[in-house]
Amino acid sequence: MTAGVVWGRQVLALTVKELRQLWRDRPLLLYVVYLFTVELVLVAGGTRELSHAPFLVRDADRSAASRELVHDLREPWFTLRGEVRDPGEALRALDHGEVRFFVDIPPTFSRDLGRGDTPATVQLVVDGSRVVSAWLAPSYAGRIADGLSRDQAARNLGRLGVDVAALPTIENRRRTWYNPNLDDAWGNALAELLSMMTVACVLLPAAAAVREKEHGTIEQLLVSPLTPLQVMLSKALSMVFVALLGTGIALHGILRAVYGLPAHGSLTLLLAVTALYAFTNAALGLVLSTFARNTTQVGLLILLTLMPVLQLSGTWSPFEAEPEPLRAVMSLSPLRHLVSVAYGILLRGVGMEVLWPHVAAIAALGTACFGAGLWRFRRQFG
Amino acid sequence: MNLVRVAALARKEWREIVRDRKLFGLAFVLPAMLMLVFAYGSGQSLEHVPLAVVDHDRTDTSRRFAERFGNTVYFDLAGYVDSEREAAARLARGDVRVVVVVPEEFERRLVAGRSAAIQTWIDGSFSNSTPPRTLQGYVEAITAAATAELQAGAVARRLGVSVERALTLLNPIRVEVRYLYNPQLRTVWSVGPSMLMFILMFVAPLLMALGVVREKESGSILNVHSSTVTRAEFLVGKLLPNVAIGCANTVLLWLLAVGWFGAPFHGSLLLFAAASLLYVIATPGIGLVISLLVDSQTTAMIISVVVATLVGSQYSGMYIPVESLSGPGWLIAHVFPAMYFNDLVQGVFLKGMGAAELWRELCALALFAAAFPGLAWLLFHKRRRA
Amino acid sequence: MGEAALVSGPPVVRAAGMWKRYRGRPAVRGVDLRVERGELHGLIGADGAGKSSLLEAIAGVLSFEGGVLEVLGVRIDSEASAERVKGRIGFMPQGLGLNLYPELSVEENVDFFARLRLVPAAALAARKERLLAMTRLAPFRRRPMKHLSGGMKQKLGLICTLVHEPELLVLDEPTTGVDPVSRRDFWAILSELLRSGGLTALISTAYLDEASRFHRVSLLHEGRCVASGDPTEVRRLVPGAAVSVEAEPQADAFAALKAAFPQVEALGGTLRVFVEAATPEEATARVRSALARTPPRRVAADEPDLEDAFVALLRREGARVEAGPPVAVGAPAAPGGGDAIEADGLTRDFGAFRAVDQVTFRVRPGEIFGLLGANGAGKTTVIKMLTGLLRPSAGRGRVAGVDMARSDRAVKRRIGYMSQAFSLYTDLTVAENVSLYAGIYGLGRAAARERADALLAMAGLARHRDARTASLPMGMRQRLALGCALVHRPEVVFLDEPTSGVDPLGRRRFWDILFELARRERVAVLVTTHSMTEAERCDRLALMFAGRIVSDAPPAVLKRDVERDAGRLLEVVADDPAGAVERLRRDGLGDPVLFGRRIHVLSPEPERDASRIRKSLAAAGIACRGIEPVPLSMEDVFIYRVRALEEREAWRAGGRS
Repeated sequence: MTAGVVWGRQVLALTVKELRQLWRDRPLLLYVVYLFTVELVLVAGGTRELSHAPFLVRDADRSAASRELVHDLREPWFTLRGEVRDPGEALRALDHGEVRFFVDIPPTFSRDLGRGDTPATVQLVVDGSRVVSAWLAPSYAGRIADGLSRDQAARNLGRLGVDVAALPTIENRRRTWYNPNLDDAWGNALAELLSMMTVACVLLPAAAAVREKEHGTIEQLLVSPLTPLQVMLSKALSMVFVALLGTGIALHGILRAVYGLPAHGSLTLLLAVTALYAFTNAALGLVLSTFARNTTQVGLLILLTLMPVLQLSGTWSPFEAEPEPLRAVMSLSPLRHLVSVAYGILLRGVGMEVLWPHVAAIAALGTACFGAGLWRFRRQFG
Repeated sequence: MNLVRVAALARKEWREIVRDRKLFGLAFVLPAMLMLVFAYGSGQSLEHVPLAVVDHDRTDTSRRFAERFGNTVYFDLAGYVDSEREAAARLARGDVRVVVVVPEEFERRLVAGRSAAIQTWIDGSFSNSTPPRTLQGYVEAITAAATAELQAGAVARRLGVSVERALTLLNPIRVEVRYLYNPQLRTVWSVGPSMLMFILMFVAPLLMALGVVREKESGSILNVHSSTVTRAEFLVGKLLPNVAIGCANTVLLWLLAVGWFGAPFHGSLLLFAAASLLYVIATPGIGLVISLLVDSQTTAMIISVVVATLVGSQYSGMYIPVESLSGPGWLIAHVFPAMYFNDLVQGVFLKGMGAAELWRELCALALFAAAFPGLAWLLFHKRRRA
Repeated sequence: MGEAALVSGPPVVRAAGMWKRYRGRPAVRGVDLRVERGELHGLIGADGAGKSSLLEAIAGVLSFEGGVLEVLGVRIDSEASAERVKGRIGFMPQGLGLNLYPELSVEENVDFFARLRLVPAAALAARKERLLAMTRLAPFRRRPMKHLSGGMKQKLGLICTLVHEPELLVLDEPTTGVDPVSRRDFWAILSELLRSGGLTALISTAYLDEASRFHRVSLLHEGRCVASGDPTEVRRLVPGAAVSVEAEPQADAFAALKAAFPQVEALGGTLRVFVEAATPEEATARVRSALARTPPRRVAADEPDLEDAFVALLRREGARVEAGPPVAVGAPAAPGGGDAIEADGLTRDFGAFRAVDQVTFRVRPGEIFGLLGANGAGKTTVIKMLTGLLRPSAGRGRVAGVDMARSDRAVKRRIGYMSQAFSLYTDLTVAENVSLYAGIYGLGRAAARERADALLAMAGLARHRDARTASLPMGMRQRLALGCALVHRPEVVFLDEPTSGVDPLGRRRFWDILFELARRERVAVLVTTHSMTEAERCDRLALMFAGRIVSDAPPAVLKRDVERDAGRLLEVVADDPAGAVERLRRDGLGDPVLFGRRIHVLSPEPERDASRIRKSLAAAGIACRGIEPVPLSMEDVFIYRVRALEEREAWRAGGRS
């Protein structure tokens, strides 16, 4: 029997042990299952679109044109909550957050519109505290007003002998790549899957390592002919297994089956990078576990580390928009690279020829974390 | 309720928290860090999106048109590429998110008063972080402005009027937008106050639940079971130190929001203090309830974090407006204090509202401050069954 | 008997037909129990016998389903009724110091409990001083509880339980994991407290040798009370004789005796047999005839002790006492010659503190070597250095001929280790744990299965192979841990307090396995323990004190040395034993110690001292019922040695300052 066989057998025995322990820890197991399934569904439905934004109107003009304008501000983007006579009433509603904006149509609206000398002004009073709707509502309302505006302009200019159709126009032919139906669920569910996999990959090995310390089982392992390398490796490998299983189930059982997410690139490559990624994060979790004495401490440390990673890696906010120094720091986040890889493979159908810098970054970070973990581990128990 | 016993319990609890240096540090570092991360993370609006231009026309007009994109904060002109094929490759690599293709004869057609069709390709894959509809909106607006300028020039020449007059003729409806509360639409102004709600919702139940479950795990809770301490005394004694930490964190977060991120605070400080006090009683109360239902630290932590993320971010009205929720989501939003506190802090910070306007939220918070510890009181038994 | 004097008024605790189930599984099944006022009542029984459930129900922290329970005259049938008596009860749950607060200092812990119990400040100050002085914890009042030794934690726990002066003290295994000196202190404090009146104590214990310290004991088995009464009465329930024999080869004699008698144990070089319902003569004859093939060198009949009676009683109830069949569990016969363990001047410093100081000893293959010492004497540190977990600061440790400081992997395959706390994976099953360790030591699949079967049979766990380890009683867990430590046939085994918290039956079976291992497989066993009955089972004992080894000899030699230095042990039976102890101490008659209602005194001149004791007691008006010399126990030896060293140390410290 060669030394290599024995070495492998030892790692295998420990890896199987880790998986058995996770299987027996029902609350933890349930949580992992939740992360890879229910959580994705909960998040997938969300949208950053304007949806049913409530508003009030003061129509002092009461003309066909003003009514048409109000009529065009409709579902599913807007919900008319009624008309007011007194702007103060509308301001109070804005104060209480009952409506997002208030449309004030002056009595001169249709007159100005008909004449075309002075612009027919409509005032939009927007609740700036709700930033998303404050951005979107005026932009949508503006576009609707533009439509009315164009019709009226054609009439007005026609009277002056100008044919609007003969004016130079830049037309915009839009095409959305990789997600032609603009399905929000694709991005949401995928981003959440990557985030939740990150949580699981760091949490599980760290919790397992701290438990061994708390229960004293780590000593029993250290007296045996095992090396710290084997102990750490088995924890990381079991996590790789769980991550692959979870990702497989989430991808096929939920993202593809429920939301029809395409897979334009190689799924094998995606799973291979997922394995590498799980290993990197498990190593990070093991490093964190060496700084903690108990579950509470390691839990808080994980929150402290993962929150920035989850928030700033380009899953929920555009990575490009971050200030340059922050972007430099965040390129140390493995999730930032996984995001590029997963979106690249699944939606854009690219392969290693494009993604290799990201894969290399994940591998380098994994090696660094594992090395640091090994060093800390040896120092603590050596 | 015997105050001597409550004081003994609270003092012991406080000493234990303070002497576990790591835990004590994290109890204050974690909230501050969350504040910074979220403000920088979700505080970013969609700007500096990399954009490439395929210019088949290569004229002054086409170049000026392309520069319009680079001149906004929304887009960074990442350069010109020679062919659609190359543009597609850059889009696939993720180097650029938007490609604008300017056709041949762009200038000639426009000068001739005809229409020229550009193409815009938007990367729809990052639909969550870089919403394609918003990018489309940006492109539309820039294109529309270019068109308006062209047309205004043409109309002005034709009718012999000023360009302004021509613009009015072309665009008779003018939408004037007035932003209340946050004129520059600074995201941190609105996210900052909401973060107070979210972070306290996140940290307070977690620390509280862990504190009780640790006693359950070690067995020292039996000291309470076997003595004449009443259930209420125990719960109050456990709550007090956590309420104190919550208060300290509220001050810390308030200073960060107002001092660091410059969020305006227009309302009544007294009202804010009262509401925060109720909130930092209600949130550890949630932790108390969790701690009585579970037996291990890991489980307590998992449940606290799941509840906090769901209640604090999904169903609090911070990101998703509550009126767009339905069924269970709507119910969750209403049976936890997060939504009410969020409305209240927004009102106090940005809108300068007072108790006259916010009394309903205040009452709801008072109710929760009583309800969660009360529920814990009902769940807690000193003579266990198994 | 002085019993009648103690019984006054209604009982403090009265349980009748009590039932307690956990998810349908009964833990207590119809227990009847009476604890009288002023009594020191012991609750004895195996793990899972229902001791803890019963105590928790009495303390009002656990509900129960059936039967009647009255505590301090109040019928306990609801949370509200339990609340009514809690003010008058002091309860210390199981687990050494687990109910204390590690971050708080000694004094802060006491203050917390006092305030919780609304002790007035003035009364607290006086009471605290008295209790701290009595437990000798006063110098450590500012030390955080987490830095206390086991014995100190136990005493602090006791203070915290007593600080509100309860009428009823309920203590769940307070002496588990505590060294003999601290244990004796503990009992002394307790009898002093009981003497001052008003206190009744109900205490469970896992150490059978402590049973004789109680006024009355109740033996619990599988949720029922099997016997109850004065320790002497209980002993007489099972008549018989104990026979000690020496025979060679010992392992064969042991096997022969086991085949003939149900209760056999190996005490180092001696085998001890309990022969039920026999006079000493009959018993000797029957033992001789059982040993026809290995004629004994020495046979001596003796009075059976309480433990013999207990084991016999439990056997009657159907408890399994014996270990599984002996199998080849250890290494193939050790390589000839050479010591299995050699410690040469082992030294270890932690900062300025020297935990282990110049420790030197040898252990031969096939020898069971015991390392004794108080908590914190350095035993665990020695083991950690010999297993390669810690590097020595100086000196050398060789195991199986290899220097452990180099700690190479090959030698780790030749040692087995069982750490102080149970350290297997409780969420895995029995079989999964064994196969894990088989994997860790690189055994192939077939070899692992074969080995697992043999080990589980040996440990008597074959029926439980698919049971979750967490659901097993401590005794079984420890046998499993031993099995796992033996999976790779080690030549040397290190066991650090392997039986702490294990019940008496479990402990017997454990030691049977160790004996087989040493005698048949020539495995060297190094074991540490706080149980002095276990110490007697070792071939050789080394006593550690403050990091040094202060004596190293077979148990019999150690006893002989103490008898030479300090004399014989006299057992005095007298009315008002507590008063008698005080009187004898005042008259300068050695250092009398109370065991239940009996008094033990070491006497250099037994004849002369006996008459002096009679005189002294007569002068105090205490009737003396008898004085006779009794054999010295290992505990007496240990305490005598440690006390002497402590005094010398104190004298030296005093001389310096």
